[in-house]
Amino acid sequence: MVPKLIRGLLRSGFAMELAKGGARWSYRRENRAFGLWLHFLFDNMKKGFRKERPVAWISAFTPSEIPYVFDLHPFLPEVVACLAAHVGVSEHAISAAEQSLYSTDLCSFYRCGAGLALGGYLPKPDLIISTSHLCDGAHRFFHNMSQLFGCDHYLIDVPYGNDGRGRTYLTDELHDLGDFIGKRTGHHLDGERAAGVLELSNRTRQVMLEINELRRRAPSPFSGSEAMSYVLGMNFSTLGSQLGLAFFRALHGVIQGRVNRVEGVIEEEKYRLLWLHHIKPYYPNTIFDILGGLGAVVSFEEANHIYWEPMDPKHPLEGLASKILSNFGCGPIEHRIEAILEMAGKYRVNGAIHFSHWGCRQSCGGSHMIRDVMRERGIPTLVLDGDGADIRNYSEGQTRTRLEAFIEMLG
Amino acid sequence: MIVSGIDIGSLSSETVILKDGEIMSYSIVPTGADTQRAVSACMQEALERAGLKFEDLSATVATGYGRIGVPFATKTVTEITCHARGAHRLLPSTRTVIDMGGQDSKVISIDPEGRVLDFVMNDKCAAGTGRFLEVMAGALEVDLVEMGERSARAKNGIVISSMCTVFAESEVISLIAGGCSKNDIIRGLHEAISKRIFTMAGKLRMERPITMTGGVAKNRGIVDALRRLLKSEIHVPEEPQIVGALGAALSA
Ligand SMILES: Nc1ncnc2c1ncn2[C@@H]1O[C@H](COP(=O)(O)OP(=O)(O)O)[C@@H](O)[C@H]1O
Ligand code: SF4
Repeated sequence: MVPKLIRGLLRSGFAMELAKGGARWSYRRENRAFGLWLHFLFDNMKKGFRKERPVAWISAFTPSEIPYVFDLHPFLPEVVACLAAHVGVSEHAISAAEQSLYSTDLCSFYRCGAGLALGGYLPKPDLIISTSHLCDGAHRFFHNMSQLFGCDHYLIDVPYGNDGRGRTYLTDELHDLGDFIGKRTGHHLDGERAAGVLELSNRTRQVMLEINELRRRAPSPFSGSEAMSYVLGMNFSTLGSQLGLAFFRALHGVIQGRVNRVEGVIEEEKYRLLWLHHIKPYYPNTIFDILGGLGAVVSFEEANHIYWEPMDPKHPLEGLASKILSNFGCGPIEHRIEAILEMAGKYRVNGAIHFSHWGCRQSCGGSHMIRDVMRERGIPTLVLDGDGADIRNYSEGQTRTRLEAFIEMLG
Repeated sequence: MIVSGIDIGSLSSETVILKDGEIMSYSIVPTGADTQRAVSACMQEALERAGLKFEDLSATVATGYGRIGVPFATKTVTEITCHARGAHRLLPSTRTVIDMGGQDSKVISIDPEGRVLDFVMNDKCAAGTGRFLEVMAGALEVDLVEMGERSARAKNGIVISSMCTVFAESEVISLIAGGCSKNDIIRGLHEAISKRIFTMAGKLRMERPITMTGGVAKNRGIVDALRRLLKSEIHVPEEPQIVGALGAALSA
């Protein structure tokens, strides 16, 4: 299996591009966090194929602490889909999925993930876990994948309300999930292990909070574009692991260094922006260069906002239930609006860009309401329609005009 | 001070020359496949009409789809800002600009000083743009310039449901085959496009007066359909196609 992956990756130019990316970065001093990410990436693929531990495919919104608590090997196809787009192979994967599985209206991350799965480029899951909150496409995709690979899929049913009843219901769900995992893998909930994972997650959360605090500085020490690529990948994949803690500590060091040197992302920062929706386009594009050329920098992004409280290691499943339910994307749109307004104030932004990703109800559904509220508060907001993984839906000229006009509007 | 604005659109290119803020001359030429040729042709024509040489210009601001391809531009400004400035100049009370050009349409809210408050643009397909109308004119074998007048002569209401350029074209062809009058079909097309613009406008808090710019504003059928839908007067400048270039010149 591993040789097949390597062959596949080489054929697709995946490894080559990654190596190039790595080489480019190693010229920079801040390569430590990036290096840890590269290490994680290869290790995650390798161990996934070797199947040292049962492989659990999890959706991006399933807390990564869950596989660590049950000593499973986590694998996130959405994160790999971003990467595939980044190195320019998503088009082939998407086309493969469209030929045999999905309509073009489904989120391109899932079309890409399915194409990669069909091509045999991803480690085979022993079980699949996803949640019902935030993303409509996820449970259908993961259900299809469980059929493709002939394994079981557990859908964590997340209730609408973050109240006592909701938390009890979700905690019961997670107990159920524990039984499901136990039956399929023989890995049962072990209090001591779980407490260790949650403690690690809490410590990482603290470092992430400190990072976010540093990102309030002007000039912005860290770019939103990077924060939504490998940093977000690590946020989704490694909370609750030693490597996750090491990564965010390294990143903190990088950013602290830049703050100390008063080093900004761009030469002359004129506008600070907030990026809304948890993704950006991952295929080669010029969005952030155009913004940078106009003196605008994405100072912060909704994706890396820490919305949850530390979890009680003695009650791991209750803690995880609370974490899931406190996501500001759950429940009525007012929760998200409130969180966004808080971020806009905290990071002192001049405007916001809401990326509306083709096929994603989560991002497209609320965008106009959010834009109107932001506008009332004096924060101009551009709703930028686009696609995160499918380059066929990207037009450089059209995007440039919208971005430039938006920055001209900021004055 | 003599300055110029140049608007390189997907279908047409315009130049406006201003002397101390007053229009001296303007030109409109088709963009064609060779953008560079269009750039020099429209500049040359405007200079000739004003009796000027290129050296007489102290600045040139480029706008439009091809703005980054104007080698002598002193700066570039997007069409959104330029249409806002141009429309404000021609009718200072304007609070909303509807610009319908060859490959995109925009609705722009502006403040009393002509600054952009917010804008929406059509998505990347050709539905609701001048190009759509050109394709339909081709399918109907009528001159684009006649479309406005023909739609005023329509007798029966026809609803065109497809907004995809390819599907709408075949819908039009089957309507002709079914014996519908071309005038009725044209009116149906104008109404369909106007509904799209109406929906776009609804995303903004649209205030009056409304000024319409861009080449499609020359089509009285579209302007009338929009008037009916928006239940509002729509101001159309004498030469709506040069408003972008005027705004560019005003930005110099
Ligand atoms: N005399 C006219 N009568 C009706 N429509 C016209 C006329 N002249 C131009 N148009 C319309 O205007 C469109 C071009 O608009 P324009 O603003 O020049 O576009 P762009 O700036 O993108 O090149 C054409 O597609 C056509 O539909
Ligand atoms: S972009 Fe939207 S549809 Fe796609 S994974 Fe994210 S939430 Fe789901």
